[in-house]
Amino acid sequence: MTHSEAIDRAAAYVLGALERTEEAAVREHLATCAEPHAEFEALSGVVPALLELADLELVEPPAALGGRIMAAAAADLAANPRAGAVTPSAAASRPTPSAAWPTPSIPTAPSAPTAFPSAAGRAARSERNRTGRFDWALRIAAVIAIVAVGAWGLSLQGQLQGAHDQLEAARHFDTAIASVIGAAGQPDAKTVILKPAEGATANGIAAIASDGSVVLAMRDLTPTSGSQVYEAWVIVGEAAPVPVGGFSVDSDRTAGFTTRPAEAPPGAVIALSLEPSEGSTVPVGPIVSTGIALAPASQNG
Amino acid sequence: MNESQHGLRGRTASSVDDSDQAALALVTAGQLDALQELYDRYKTMAYSIALRITADGALAEDVVQEAFLGIWRNAGRYVEGRGSVKTWMLAIVHHRAVDAVRRRRPTTELPEREAVPPPALQLPDIWSDVAAGLDREEIAAAMATLSDVQREAIELAYWGGLTQQEIAERTGTPLGTVKSRVRLGLLSLRRALVGEGDGLADGLAGDGGT
Repeated sequence: MTHSEAIDRAAAYVLGALERTEEAAVREHLATCAEPHAEFEALSGVVPALLELADLELVEPPAALGGRIMAAAAADLAANPRAGAVTPSAAASRPTPSAAWPTPSIPTAPSAPTAFPSAAGRAARSERNRTGRFDWALRIAAVIAIVAVGAWGLSLQGQLQGAHDQLEAARHFDTAIASVIGAAGQPDAKTVILKPAEGATANGIAAIASDGSVVLAMRDLTPTSGSQVYEAWVIVGEAAPVPVGGFSVDSDRTAGFTTRPAEAPPGAVIALSLEPSEGSTVPVGPIVSTGIALAPASQNG
Repeated sequence: MNESQHGLRGRTASSVDDSDQAALALVTAGQLDALQELYDRYKTMAYSIALRITADGALAEDVVQEAFLGIWRNAGRYVEGRGSVKTWMLAIVHHRAVDAVRRRRPTTELPEREAVPPPALQLPDIWSDVAAGLDREEIAAAMATLSDVQREAIELAYWGGLTQQEIAERTGTPLGTVKSRVRLGLLSLRRALVGEGDGLADGLAGDGGT
């Protein structure tokens, strides 16, 4: 496109009134032409004012839209982790990446609960303050992003067990996987890849069956002791985490478990926490693994 | 109080923009709460623009979602000093909304959905601050400087999502006439907003023609 052709299209360009292909040609021209483009500057400056001049009727979007957008962004972040994907308070004290994966600490607001300790040592804390519901989901998303880097490498640690134990665990896990595959074949089923949270090794796969129950196959879980249970949670958008059932784990570090049915649309976060005892209504123990529910279609883009 | 174009309004707007720029930088680093902050600040504006252009609530929601995901993924493309963050974000919403209505019209050729980066309408928009501070009378006065046909052409383009060729067909007007209506209309608005002393607009308007 010549300079004069671009100038001729300036007014339509700034209003978005060109075919997109023509618009791209103008943009290309602007990016490469050294001539002045006063016409573009003069005209484009007016365009934002059109919003004010239009007497635009202001309409609030439906409340659910924000949750959908944030879930989509969290899923995007999980799929494409970014270097700086931690919240601001952690950024200042972010340690340099260590051997296996970067280990930035998950920020804990002063009033935050121990729902999200970033290291095993913090698990002992017993505050039960609630953090903002959405904040909670954000932290899960941040953890997903952080662990995505080296998640599967850690499963190697599980192989340090004795060979016999491994075989038993593998059989147990196989059975659990078969259940997951069964559930994943149901109409409208969703699948979830569960990755370990920071400081944890638990990983696995799950399917959300037609009735909303989550069928889990987990491995590399730390065995439970005493009254401890692993509790599964479903988090939808900005809503509070919903507990859907818990289970204990023995020395084979493996679990197959089907939760109570819950509303878990695509984009919902499935999380597993290690609770001090059964019946938690809010996660108080450390999160050990998280994943995002994906509809089969969404996996194809 | 004689509030000039670069008076209080400008300062207020730029402190908002400082905060927007800080949030956008955090979005670039992958921080979801910064995206939430920008969404909360501009969701109503974004949805209202999308709704006006698409006239379809469900489609407008899709547009806003696509736009904010575009912002999420492409925050690093924002160029400081070439328009406010607000203008950049709302231009993306506008662009997506126009894509959505054009996609509904089978005759229009559109590139792949994800192929379009945020629009590069990033040229200085120092007058948006001025416009933001106008009262209704001033707005009405600015709009009154346009002829009916100029206003119609600009509205069909900006709010109707029509290309200039489509406007020519729709209104039964030669393309060259549509081009000059749009151009002279924008220059007229510019003069009304920044005042008569703006030599650039006067000079540009002079070589217009119909």
